[in-house]
Amino acid sequence: MRADEATLARLMTLSQQGDKQAYAALLEACQRWLRGYYSRRIAPSSLDDLVQETLIALHTKRASWDSARPFLPWLAAIARYRWVDHLRKLYRAGEHELHEELIGTDDEPAIAARISLDRLLGLLPDPQARAIALVKIEGLSIAEASQATGQSESLIKVNIHRGLKKLAHMIEKE
Amino acid sequence: MMARNSDALIAELVGGLEPVRPLRFGEGLALALAAAGISAAVVAGVFGLRTDWLAGVVNPMHILATGLFLGLALAATVTVVVMGRPQVGSDHRGWRWAAAMAGLLPLAGVIVGISRGAAAMSYESMAQGAECFAVGGAASLLVFAMLVWWLRRGAPTAPDRAGLVAGVAAGAFGIFAFSLHCPINDIVHIGIWHSMAVLAMAGLGRVLVPRLIRW
Repeated sequence: MRADEATLARLMTLSQQGDKQAYAALLEACQRWLRGYYSRRIAPSSLDDLVQETLIALHTKRASWDSARPFLPWLAAIARYRWVDHLRKLYRAGEHELHEELIGTDDEPAIAARISLDRLLGLLPDPQARAIALVKIEGLSIAEASQATGQSESLIKVNIHRGLKKLAHMIEKE
Repeated sequence: MMARNSDALIAELVGGLEPVRPLRFGEGLALALAAAGISAAVVAGVFGLRTDWLAGVVNPMHILATGLFLGLALAATVTVVVMGRPQVGSDHRGWRWAAAMAGLLPLAGVIVGISRGAAAMSYESMAQGAECFAVGGAASLLVFAMLVWWLRRGAPTAPDRAGLVAGVAAGAFGIFAFSLHCPINDIVHIGIWHSMAVLAMAGLGRVLVPRLIRW
């Protein structure tokens, strides 16, 4: 199933009406889309948890989507909210490698760019975005991130704190 | 790590699927306006409308101030309704312009109050102000409850801000309702006490609502 806007919107409309077959197809497609969306923006060990948390949020908040509006920007808002929440709760992850595999490709690169996590991170000042990426996503320690960036350890902590706080208020920004 | 795998989760979610009624913008706005209308009608019924209106007289200060609170209430309500329906690309800042304009009222009230000195803080003026504050705050509760219910059904991505704006909307509607009765046209009274009802509800919304709507 291609995770394109029109197909997902049609499946979601049917799902809101209680069509279980359409809903199963929608959740499968959304799961693949979310894996691609979160890819490289979360520690690999957390990816399954985050995708599942987002699917549950999709389920509980499915009434907040209106068929008069596009589907993917709605799903992205749900996904960003869960992602930022996840980062805020996250303690140091034990993995240092980036998840290089891109699962699923998007047929609408312009939309994908506007709603991506990179776009959201890019709204932060660079030192804050870098501190969050290194510690909360790649799993470096504070000391390692300090060495990598030249920021002091306390500045890394401050930048993570301030950056996550800002992210929580920018979920729907393009 | 979650115990179940994604396939099991999807099967579980599909099994629990029930039809839902999508949150429409018009429905949210209509619910809030209906709550505001009921509140205004109750205030008018219990306290009565301004006597000068009934005599066919209008005061420009009263119209201006009441209009600013109504404008703020509408702008904040629209923002809350939009916040319940998340979408990357949505902008929630429009209400701030209405707030900036309505903010002239407390500013003018404080400036004029200071220029008057102690006379602005007489016991009588404080008692009148406290009545507007209390009844205006009470008249906002129905709209407040309606907006919180809307946000709980929706998926606000910034619960603290949604709570703040819901408080502003409810408070502005509440004081608008009581302005239909309040006979005082003085800028110090309106700027301080009427604005205080909005600020108090905004604070209440900011503190109370996030824990009710977080998801």
